[in-house]
Amino acid sequence: MDVTRIVFLALAAVAVVSAYRVVTAPKIMHAALWLGFTFFLVAGVFLTLGAEFLAAAQVLVYVGAVTTIILFGIMLSQAAEVRSRDPLPSELLEGMAFWRRGVLPVVATVAFVAIMVMVYLRASWPAPTGGVADTVRLIGSALFTTYVIPFELAAVLLLIALVGAIVLAIRDDDKEEQGS
Amino acid sequence: MDTVGLVLARSLILAVALASLFAGMTVIERKMLGYFHLRLGPTRTGPWGLLQPVADGIKAIVKEDIIPRDADRLVFRLAPIISVFTALAAWAVIPVGPPVNIGGLTIPLGVADPPGGVLVAVAFAALSVYGVTLAGWASQSKYSLLGSLRASAQLISYELAMGLSLLGVLMLAGSLRLTEIVAAQERLPFILLQPLGFVIYFLAALAESARVPFDLPEAETELVSGYSTEYSGMRFAMFMMAEYIHMITASSLVTLLYLGGWNGPVFLPPVVWFLVKLGFLLFVFIWLRATMVRLRYDRLMDLGWKVLLPLAILNLVATAVITVFVA
Repeated sequence: MDVTRIVFLALAAVAVVSAYRVVTAPKIMHAALWLGFTFFLVAGVFLTLGAEFLAAAQVLVYVGAVTTIILFGIMLSQAAEVRSRDPLPSELLEGMAFWRRGVLPVVATVAFVAIMVMVYLRASWPAPTGGVADTVRLIGSALFTTYVIPFELAAVLLLIALVGAIVLAIRDDDKEEQGS
Repeated sequence: MDTVGLVLARSLILAVALASLFAGMTVIERKMLGYFHLRLGPTRTGPWGLLQPVADGIKAIVKEDIIPRDADRLVFRLAPIISVFTALAAWAVIPVGPPVNIGGLTIPLGVADPPGGVLVAVAFAALSVYGVTLAGWASQSKYSLLGSLRASAQLISYELAMGLSLLGVLMLAGSLRLTEIVAAQERLPFILLQPLGFVIYFLAALAESARVPFDLPEAETELVSGYSTEYSGMRFAMFMMAEYIHMITASSLVTLLYLGGWNGPVFLPPVVWFLVKLGFLLFVFIWLRATMVRLRYDRLMDLGWKVLLPLAILNLVATAVITVFVA
C-alpha cells in the first residue's frame, strides 16, 4: 500500500468515529466540536484525492464558518435554554419517542444509503483523472457557464438570509427603544 | 522526486525554525519596546538579555497548571493545542524561496506547494478563531467569555476585507499557487499595482493577529487578560506561541503576496531577501505596538465593516475592470 492510501484510510476511519461521536456526545458543545473535526477530516480526504480547491473550500466554509456559527450560537445561549426548550408538551413527546428515536432515523438512513448507492452506480469508475492540474480554473468556468443558474439561485438565497438576519436584528432594537 | 522522508524532514526543520523564531521574537520585541520607550528592556538574563526566552520557558514549565473548577476540562485543555496547530498548519503551504538543486535533487523550500496554496493558508488563518473562542468559553469566566466573543467578532469581520483585498492579487497573478504569485512579481511587486489592496490587507492582517492597535481581545485594562485570563504555565505559553507564529505567518503572506517574495537584486540569495522583507514587516508590527494606542471597540468594528470592506470591494471591481479592458 502506498502512503496516500494509508493516509486516506486513516482519515476515513477517524472521520467515521468522529461522526459517530457527534450524535453520541452528551454535551452539545462537544458535539459541535466533533462535527467541526469531522468536516476537517473530510477536507483531508479531499486532499488525498487530489482536490485541493475543494479541501480548502471545505475548511474555509464548513470548519471556518458553519461550525464557528454553531459554536457562537451555543456560547451565546444559556445552558438551561439549550436543554429545556421543547416546543411540544412532554406527554406528546413521550408518545412520539418511538417515531422520533426508532422510525425516523431508519427512514433517514435508508434514504441516504439509497441515494449514495444510486450515485455510486451511475458514476463511471474510475473517474476521469485528466486535467486535474488546474481544478480552480475548471470549477470557476463550470460555475459561471454550465451551473450559472443554480449558482445565482444560491446567491439569491444567501441574500435573502442576510436580509432576514438584518430585519430580525433591527426589530429587536426597536422593541427595546419602545420599552425604555 | 519529492519523497515522504524529505517532506517530513522539511516539516521538522520548519517547526523547529518557527519555534526558535517565536523565542527570538519575544526577546527582540521586549528589547525594542524598551528602546522605543527610552529604557533598556531585559538586561539580567545573559548578554543583551538574550537568554530571556530560556528563563521564560523554564518559568512556564514549572508554574502550577491551574484548571478552574467549573471549566469544561476537555475543551480547556484542547484550546491551546488547537491554537498552536492552526498557527503552524498554515506553514504547510508557505514557501520561503525557489526550489534549490542539491546533488541533482530539486528540493522545494516549503513543505508543499499545492495549486490552491493561498486558499489553504487563508483557511488555516480563519481557523485561529477556534482556539480563542473555545478558550474563553471553556474557562467559564465572564472576562474570558467577553474577550473571546470580542476576538471572534473581530476575526470574522476582518477576514472578509482580507479575502476581498487578496482577490486583487489573485486576479493579477492569475493563479492561486504561491510560487506562481511570487513569479508574477518578478518585474514589479504587487504593492505598486495594488497599493490600496496592500493597505487593506496589512490592516486586516494586523487585526487577525490581534496586535496593537487591534488587541481588543486581550485588552488588559478592561478585560483583565481576555480569553487567556484563566490560563497559566505552559498552556498560556502556547497561546503566546500561537500569537507570535500568527504574526510571522501574516508577515510572510504579506511578503509573498505584495512585496515580491524572494525576488530582489542578485547580490543576495533569494531566501535572504525573503527573510529581510519578513524581518522588516515584523519590525513594523513591533513599531506599531510601541507607537499606537488601542482602538475603541465600536471604532474597530466601524473600521472593519464601513471603511475597509467597501474599499476592498472597490479595489476588487477596479482591478477586475482594469485587468479585462486595459491589460
